[in-house]
Amino acid sequence: MEAHESVDFKRLMSEESTVSTLSSDSCEYYQTEIFDLLPSIQASRPEQNRHDFSEETNQGGREAREKSGQLSRGPRDKTSMQPLRNLPMCIQGKKGAKERRKLEINDINFWESWRKTQSTNRKRVREQIKEALSGLVPWRQTLRTIEGKFGVGVKSYFVFLRYLIYLNLLHCVLIGGFIVGPSIFYRTDEYEPLMFKDSDSALDFFLGTGYVNRSLVFYGFYTQGSLDLKCLNIPLLYLAGIFSIIFLSLILVVRRTTVGYKHTWMLGKRYSMNVSYKIFCGWDFTIQDPTAAALKHGFIRNDLKLFLEEQSFSLRAAQRTLGEKVRLYLLRIVLNLITLSLLGGAFYLIYFATQTSLKKENSGHHWLVSLLLQYFPPITITFVNLVLPHIFRKISSFEDYSFTMQVNATLLRSIFLKLASLGIYLFFVFTTTEQDAKCKENQFGREMYKLSIFNFLATFFSVFFFNYPRKLVQETYPRSSLARISGKQRFLIPFNVLDLVYSQTVSWVGVYYCPLLPVIGIVSLVVTFYVKKFNVMRCCVPEQRMFRGSSSSVLFHFMLLLGLFMCAATLGFNHYPLQSTEGRNASSCGPFRNEQTMFTVTGGCVKSLPSPAQTTIRYLTSEAFALPLILAEIILLTSYVSRRRANQRAIERLKDMLVMSSSDKRFLVKQHATMLRQRNKHH
Amino acid sequence: MGNKQTTFTEEQLEAYQDCTFFTRKEILRLHARYRELAPHLVPLDYTNNPDIKVPMTLIVTMPELKENPFRERIVETFSEDGQGNLSFSDFIDMFSALCEASPRELKTIYAFKIYDFNRDNFICKEDLEKTLNKLTKGELTPEEVTLVCDKAIEEADLDGDNKLSFADFENMISKAPDFLRYRHLFGYVFIF
Repeated sequence: MEAHESVDFKRLMSEESTVSTLSSDSCEYYQTEIFDLLPSIQASRPEQNRHDFSEETNQGGREAREKSGQLSRGPRDKTSMQPLRNLPMCIQGKKGAKERRKLEINDINFWESWRKTQSTNRKRVREQIKEALSGLVPWRQTLRTIEGKFGVGVKSYFVFLRYLIYLNLLHCVLIGGFIVGPSIFYRTDEYEPLMFKDSDSALDFFLGTGYVNRSLVFYGFYTQGSLDLKCLNIPLLYLAGIFSIIFLSLILVVRRTTVGYKHTWMLGKRYSMNVSYKIFCGWDFTIQDPTAAALKHGFIRNDLKLFLEEQSFSLRAAQRTLGEKVRLYLLRIVLNLITLSLLGGAFYLIYFATQTSLKKENSGHHWLVSLLLQYFPPITITFVNLVLPHIFRKISSFEDYSFTMQVNATLLRSIFLKLASLGIYLFFVFTTTEQDAKCKENQFGREMYKLSIFNFLATFFSVFFFNYPRKLVQETYPRSSLARISGKQRFLIPFNVLDLVYSQTVSWVGVYYCPLLPVIGIVSLVVTFYVKKFNVMRCCVPEQRMFRGSSSSVLFHFMLLLGLFMCAATLGFNHYPLQSTEGRNASSCGPFRNEQTMFTVTGGCVKSLPSPAQTTIRYLTSEAFALPLILAEIILLTSYVSRRRANQRAIERLKDMLVMSSSDKRFLVKQHATMLRQRNKHH
Repeated sequence: MGNKQTTFTEEQLEAYQDCTFFTRKEILRLHARYRELAPHLVPLDYTNNPDIKVPMTLIVTMPELKENPFRERIVETFSEDGQGNLSFSDFIDMFSALCEASPRELKTIYAFKIYDFNRDNFICKEDLEKTLNKLTKGELTPEEVTLVCDKAIEEADLDGDNKLSFADFENMISKAPDFLRYRHLFGYVFIF
């Protein structure tokens, strides 16, 4: 019976583990007496304890049962400290345990019991507070219904939208505190600019001219003001507000990125397709509705099919012959060239639109034509951003990647398209504003303002004038050729999230020149929430093909960070102009008019501080401080990296120990069984 | 909620409160739900601990369990005779272990028992295949089922015996990232 083939207990390293070691132990191994007596088995069999705790223990019979009673005293001690309700036994068992505990601890300290009641009360209060706070979070019920109907991916889009609303609220609070509040409070000149003049019209709201131009929406409104203390003047507060916005946004976005990234990366390849988790923890036990249950079954099935598809894809990819590979790479190069040419065409279109709209002779036309001309660049940009990603999606379907890679490739190209189009637009606006314009910053802010408004209008109208009619056509004429070509509508998560990120980037880039842009952002985001909710619930069907969203979320956060970087770059570019042109330096509006720059203002503030503070600040901003700072950071990073490596090695060693101890156990059990059998044979 | 109830004695209610995660009100409500399942079988007065068991066929009609693919296994796990007939103690025990307040460790222990179809304290390949079939309602082909089960065992099995012991199972559950909210795992939200 012990002549099994010897089991190979060498464990493959985790990255290469593809096959688990097979063992061919028969059931007899698990039924030997000594196997039952092993402490590790005892610890995992809590119902043994149940038999011991009940009043009638039939001790008659096997001595193994007695031995198990004695040996199980070990695990029982471990459970005697836990609260009764946490014990994994039936109610009778718990009642018995309670009796025994009462006998053991009959003189419980008054102080102990008071402390225990206090701690339970505190826990209860904390839970009630948490319950109340989570009830304040908006749209919880909506999100739950969306998750039930469309899955976690669509819900994560709406969660991200809500997160952006919070971010914009924070921006508004900061702007209100640092910029708008002091300006309104301490304005020296009368509120004359805020009165309506004859030349104002309703179009000003869309164009950002006239009344809106003079109001606090744009940079030009903010002057020095009477708050002219050395260190508490409006320009400094303005700068402080903008910098705090950028800094806080950076911290929040980085935190969000690392939290998500940590989970996908640190778990390693071993858990990236966590099939076992999906099987055991895939079912949501709170489902009571039959349709929701059917949907959940569908989701789980789709998830597993995704896993199987990825397996078969990697199998197929590994079996490609050399000729096929060469042909595939050629095809991919051609498609990438097509993509590049499409991008180039789009950029030229944007350049052309910017040039047309910024020309001088636009003033003499009819108001509708001039409105359209003013909005020509935003219209082009939005059109390009709407059409090209779908073309990229079609292109990537020819490139023979796995579905997740396809989505990520499309996303990469779309991100590049959006950011580069925005960057090119900014560049052309910077370089082609007229030299004698009254307020260049307002001009720039106006362009950002128009872009934001048009983005919002495009989202709004695309749902009501494109998605909804398409759905009506689908429903009323399901067999028409139009319905068959367009197919059922699906909520494309990557493109929608990309739109959100793009609008946030525009908001960041423009916040210096148009401080009320976050307010516009909040309004548009809230309306977008309801519009998209309408789109999802009424016009779309659940997506059948799933992709792995965790890798895409890395790309989204990367785009957010790039947006922040572009915002900082625009600011820097504006404040460090080429010193050669003296005329560009002087701005005629805003907090930095009259030859004041950021440096003069901060310099004036620093000079007014007491001298120890001055020397500290001068030291902190010098190079002598930067070098030790960088060195300290390098040392810190190195220590973290080496600690991680050491932990990894410890994990590997522990896993090896586990395998070895189980092989020891196996060996001992077999030896014992052999010896018993030999002894019985001799008797 | 007044103290005028005649279903349980005070000692019984206290004992139940100690042994489960429920409050007084919830225990009485649960008794009402238990009674609703079989009004002719379950008496209103439980002060003398009657030995009544509601059969499994009635318990799986409860709305909380009706749509659950593992409902029979859940009821079997908590029944004393292993056939799925629950006394009131077993009933309240079941919902206490599955409620939101019960800790993850307890849920993991019971989850392991639920998924162990042949009750040999190991989740072997057949157990896994039965779980998967219940989960996907038999919509995967047998080859696909085998493939998925093989990969699942390979991922979770640490000691190399081609089965999942409780240690393997617990390790796999604990390694799962926290943002995959496990609160909904084996957790029933009671609507009172």
